[in-house]
Amino acid sequence: MKNFFKKYSSLKWKVMIVTVLLSPASVFAAGPPVASELSNPLAIVLLVVIIGLLLVIALLANIVIGAAKLNLQRFISEKKKNNTVSKILGVVLLCCITGAAFAADSPATTTAATDTSIAGLSSTSFYALLSVIFLELIILITLLFNLKKLLQSEKLAATIQGDEVAPETAFSGWWEKVNSFVPMKEEAQIDLGHNYDGIRELDNRLPPWWLYGFYVCIIFAAIYLYRYHVAHSAPLSGEELKIELAKADADKQEYLKKAGNSVDENTVKLLTDAKDLDAAKAIFTTICAACHKPDGGGLVGPNLTDDYWLHGGGIKDIFKTIKYGWPEKGMQSWKDNYTPLQIAQLASYVKSLHGTKPAIAKEPQGTLYVEEKAGASDSTKAKTDSLKTNADKKITGAK
Amino acid sequence: MQVEKFYYDNKSVKMFAYATMLWGIVGMLAGLLIAVQIYLPAANFDLPFTTFGRVRPVHTNAVIFAFVGNGIFMGVYYSLQRLCKARMFSDVLSKIHFWGWQLIIVLAAVTLLAGYTSGKEYAELEWPIDILITLIWVVFGINMFGTLIKRRESHIYVAIWFYIATWVTVAMLHIVNSFEVPFSFMKSYSFYAGVQDALVQWWYGHNAVAFFLTTPYLGVMYYFLPKAANRPVYSYRLSIIHFWALIFLYIWAGPHHLLYTALPDWAQSLGTVFSIMLIAPSWGGMLNGLFTLRGAWDKVREEPVLKFFVVAVTCYGMSTFEGPMLALKSVNAISHYTDWTVAHVHVGALGWNGFMTFGMLYYLIPKLFNTPLYSKKLATNHFWIGTIGIVLYAIPMYWAGFTQATMWKQFTEDGTLKFQFLETVTHIIPMYITRSIGGAIYLSGALLMIYNLIKTIKSGSFVGDEAAESAPLPKVHETHGKQYWHRWIEARPIQMLILSLVAVAIGGIIEMLPTFLIKSNIPTIASVKPYTALELQGRDIYIREGCYLCHSQMIRPFRDEVARYGEYSKAGEFVYDHPFQWGSKRTGPDLARIGGKYPDSWHYNHMWDPRSMSPGSVMPNYPWLFDNKLDTAITPAKIRAMQTLGVPYPEGYDKKANADLVEQAKTIQANLKKDKLDTPADREIVALIAYLQRMGTDIKGQQKTAAAFK
Repeated sequence: MKNFFKKYSSLKWKVMIVTVLLSPASVFAAGPPVASELSNPLAIVLLVVIIGLLLVIALLANIVIGAAKLNLQRFISEKKKNNTVSKILGVVLLCCITGAAFAADSPATTTAATDTSIAGLSSTSFYALLSVIFLELIILITLLFNLKKLLQSEKLAATIQGDEVAPETAFSGWWEKVNSFVPMKEEAQIDLGHNYDGIRELDNRLPPWWLYGFYVCIIFAAIYLYRYHVAHSAPLSGEELKIELAKADADKQEYLKKAGNSVDENTVKLLTDAKDLDAAKAIFTTICAACHKPDGGGLVGPNLTDDYWLHGGGIKDIFKTIKYGWPEKGMQSWKDNYTPLQIAQLASYVKSLHGTKPAIAKEPQGTLYVEEKAGASDSTKAKTDSLKTNADKKITGAK
Repeated sequence: MQVEKFYYDNKSVKMFAYATMLWGIVGMLAGLLIAVQIYLPAANFDLPFTTFGRVRPVHTNAVIFAFVGNGIFMGVYYSLQRLCKARMFSDVLSKIHFWGWQLIIVLAAVTLLAGYTSGKEYAELEWPIDILITLIWVVFGINMFGTLIKRRESHIYVAIWFYIATWVTVAMLHIVNSFEVPFSFMKSYSFYAGVQDALVQWWYGHNAVAFFLTTPYLGVMYYFLPKAANRPVYSYRLSIIHFWALIFLYIWAGPHHLLYTALPDWAQSLGTVFSIMLIAPSWGGMLNGLFTLRGAWDKVREEPVLKFFVVAVTCYGMSTFEGPMLALKSVNAISHYTDWTVAHVHVGALGWNGFMTFGMLYYLIPKLFNTPLYSKKLATNHFWIGTIGIVLYAIPMYWAGFTQATMWKQFTEDGTLKFQFLETVTHIIPMYITRSIGGAIYLSGALLMIYNLIKTIKSGSFVGDEAAESAPLPKVHETHGKQYWHRWIEARPIQMLILSLVAVAIGGIIEMLPTFLIKSNIPTIASVKPYTALELQGRDIYIREGCYLCHSQMIRPFRDEVARYGEYSKAGEFVYDHPFQWGSKRTGPDLARIGGKYPDSWHYNHMWDPRSMSPGSVMPNYPWLFDNKLDTAITPAKIRAMQTLGVPYPEGYDKKANADLVEQAKTIQANLKKDKLDTPADREIVALIAYLQRMGTDIKGQQKTAAAFK
C-alpha cells in the first residue's frame, strides 16, 4: 500500500508539472514558427480554449485525486471491507484519461493544412481542434461525475461517524495542501511578532505552484530569446510577413486557376447581365458614390455619365482605372479590395451609366470618347486615348 | 520607556478624500461623453473643446492623475502616519501638496480642452505644467521622507516600500519622458523623435500603469485590507520577493506596447519576455491580499469594504494575467489597436483602482468622522451596481475588439480584403452602445456612494487631529523572533530609496541606450526629408486635435495591413517626428500612408463633414479649422526648435520658412479651386491638408521611380 502511495504522489506531481510545462509550450506553438496555420484567429481561439480546458481538467483532476486520497485514507485507517481496490482502479483510470488529454493536445498543434477551409482555417485542423475540445469536455464531465460520487461517499462516511466537528471538504484539504498553508490553529508559530498599527505578519511559505510558475516563466523567457535572437529558429516580424505573403499568393493563384476569375485588363468584356450590374450597383452606391455621387454625376471625382473621359472610356480603360487607380489624381487602386470579377462588374456598371443624364452633373472633363464598333481593337484605342488624356491634362492644368 | 503623545493629521486625508470623489465623478463623466461620441458623432457638438480628440485626454488624465492620484495621496497620508507612528512631516508641505496637485488638475483640464497637448498619450500636459508636477512631486517626497525620518516605528512596513518605489520611479519616468524643447509659452516639441520617442513614451506609459496605478495601490492594499479584515498579512517573505521582483521586472515590459512596429525586434522581444516573467510577481500581490482573508471570509459576506477589496484584488489578478498574454506576439497581432486593449485597461481601472478607492473611502470616511457608515445596504448595492457596470463594460469591448480584428484580417478566397475599414466600425456599434450603458451604470454606483458618504459626514463630527501615543524610535533596533536579512533595509528608508532606484533604472537603461546610440537600430532612408513649414504647422494641428487618439500611423508587417494601407512602416521614416504619432488605437483607419491617396478636395469635404465622403463614419466634424487663421507668426520659432533638435533645415531657414509656407498653401488653394471649393489660403485646414498629403509619401517617391524603370 505504501508503495502505491509513493507512486501515486509522484504521479500527482507529474500531472502538475506537465500542466504547467504544457501551457507555455502550446502558447509557443501558437506563435510565429508555424505562422501560416496558427496565426489564424480562429485557430488561436480554439487553442486558447483547449489550453484553458486543459488547465481546468488538471485542476479538477487534482481535486478528484485529493478527494480519492482522503477516502482511501479513511478506508485504510478503518480497515474496512476491501472495496478499496475499485477506488484505486478508478483513480488510476482517471490519471490515464488525464494523460490522454495531454497527449491529445499535441496532434492538434501539428495538423497539416488541406484544401477546404473554415474561416481561413483548414477543415482538418478545425475539426481536429474541435474534437480535442470535445474530448476535453467529456473528460471534464467524467471528472465531475467522479468527484460528485466521491464527495457523496465522504458525506455518507461523515454522517455515519457523526463527526461534524471537522468540516474539512476534499476541496479545502486540497487547497490547503496545494498552497502549503500552515493550518489556522498553528498560526501563532509563524507569527513574526511584527506589529504595524495593529497589522501582524505571518511567515507562510511561498505557494509552491506560484514559485514553480515563476521559474517556468523565467525558463520560457530564456527559450524565447534563444529561439528568436540566437538560434534564429523563429521568424522575426519582417520574415513573418514574407512567409505570410508567399502563402497568400500561392493560395490566390491556386484559387484563381480553379475559379476562372482571372480576368484582367486585356481579357475583360462588357457584362450586361442584370445580376452582374446589380452586384456592381451595391458596391458603387456605398463606395464609389463618395466621390462620384450615387448616380455617377460626379462630385470630387469626374462625371461618369457623359461622353468625356480623363483616362479613356472603353471597358478595358475603365477596368484598368479601377484596378490600378490614378493615385495622383485621387482615384485609388481597388485591386486589393475587389476581385477581378467585381472590378469587371463595376466597369460594366459604369459603362451602363453612360447617357443617364443626372439632374446635377459635373461639367465634362477629359476628352471625347466615342465607342468603337464591335471588333475594332480596343488596345490600340486605349493607347491613343491615354496619350490624348496626357495632352489634355496639360491643357486643363494650364487653365 | 517614555511614551510620546502626538496627533495624526486627518485634515489632509479628508481633503484628498473629497478631491478623489470630485475628480472621480468628473473623470467618469468625461469618459461617458466620449463613449457616446464614438457612436453618436453629433455629441461632439461641432465645438473644438467638446470634440473627442480633446475630451479623451481629459478623461484619461482625470481618471489616472486626478481620481487615482488623489486616491493614492489619501491612502498614503492616512496609512503612512499610522505605520510610522508620527504626524506628517510638515502641515505646510501637506497643504502645498494638496492645493498644488489640484491646481495641476485644473490647469490640465483647461489646457487640454484648449488644445495644448504634447501629443504623447498619458503625458499630454505641456512643459510649464510638467515643471509644476515635478515641483509638487518633490514636495510630496520631502513630506514623505520627512515623516519616515522622524518615525517612531523602527522598521518600515511593506506598504511603505511600495510608496517609496512609487515615488522614486514616477519621478524618474516623468522627468525622462518630459524632455522637450519649448518654442512658446505653452508649446514644445518632444526631445526624442520617431522610434526613440516611441520607446521612451511607452516605457513611461507602461510604467505609469505600473508605478501610478499599481504599486501605490498595492501599498494601500497592504494597509487597508488587513486592517479591514483584522487578519495578519499572509506571508512576509512573499511580500519581499514579489516587491523586488515586481519593481525590477515591470520597468522592462514597456516595448510590449510596440510589438510589430518599427521598434527593433530585440527590444520587442525583451518587452514580451519580461511581461511573461511579470505574471508571478504580480500575482504575489494578489495572493498576499486574498490569502490574508483566510479565516475572514465570513466577514466578506457582511462587510461591503471587504467586498470591494476582494473584487479589486481579483480584477488586479485578472488584468495582470491578461496583460502578459497580450504581450505574446500572436495574441497582440489580434488585440492591438482594437477595443480589446480598452477592455483590458478598464478591468484594471474600474475593477482594481476604482473598487480599491471605493473600499478605502467606505473605510476611511466613517473613521475620520467617528461615526458608523450611514448605510451598509447602500454600499452593498453600490458594490453590485459597480460589478454589473464592469461586466457590461468589459464584455462588449472584448467582443468588439476580437470581432473587429477578425474582420480586418479576413480575405476573400481570391486574395482581396473582405471588409472595408468602415464596415468593421459600423459592425461593432451595438457593442459601443452597450459599453456606454455599462459605464453609466458604474457611474451611477459612484454617485450612490457619494450620497452615502455625504450622509455619513453629516451625521458624524470630524476629528481633525487624532490623538495617539507611542514610544520614541529606539536607538538600537529591537529584534523580535527570527531575524531576516531583509530587516536591515527595512530600518533604512534612504537606502531603500536608492536600491529601488537602482532596480528600476536598469531595465530602462538597457533598452534605451542601444536604441539611441547604435545606428543600425534605426536604418536611415535617404528619401525621407524634413516637413515643409506648412506641413509642420499642419502636423501641430493634427496633434492639437488629438487625431492620434483614433488614428495610428504605424502599418504593421501583416498581409492585411499591407493590402489595406500600403508598404509597412520603417523605422527610418520617423526620424523627424517630434513627437512620434504612432497611436495606440484604430477607431479610424491607419494614416501612415494617407498622403496622395485622396485628392485635396476629398480631405476638405471630409474634415467639414466626414459622412459626406464616407457615409456611416463616426468621425467628428472639424468646422473651426475652416475659420481659424493659421498662426504664421510662430513658424520661425518652430523651425528653430526643430533645428535645435537636429532636424536639418538650412541655416537661417526660420526667416524664409513663411514664404515657402504661403507658396505651398496657394498650391493647395488652387487644387481646391479646381474642384469648386473656395477657401482662403491662410486657413488651418490648408495646413492640415498639406500634412495629410505628405504622410508616408517620402518612401513612395522611391518606389515610384523604381516602378518607372521597370
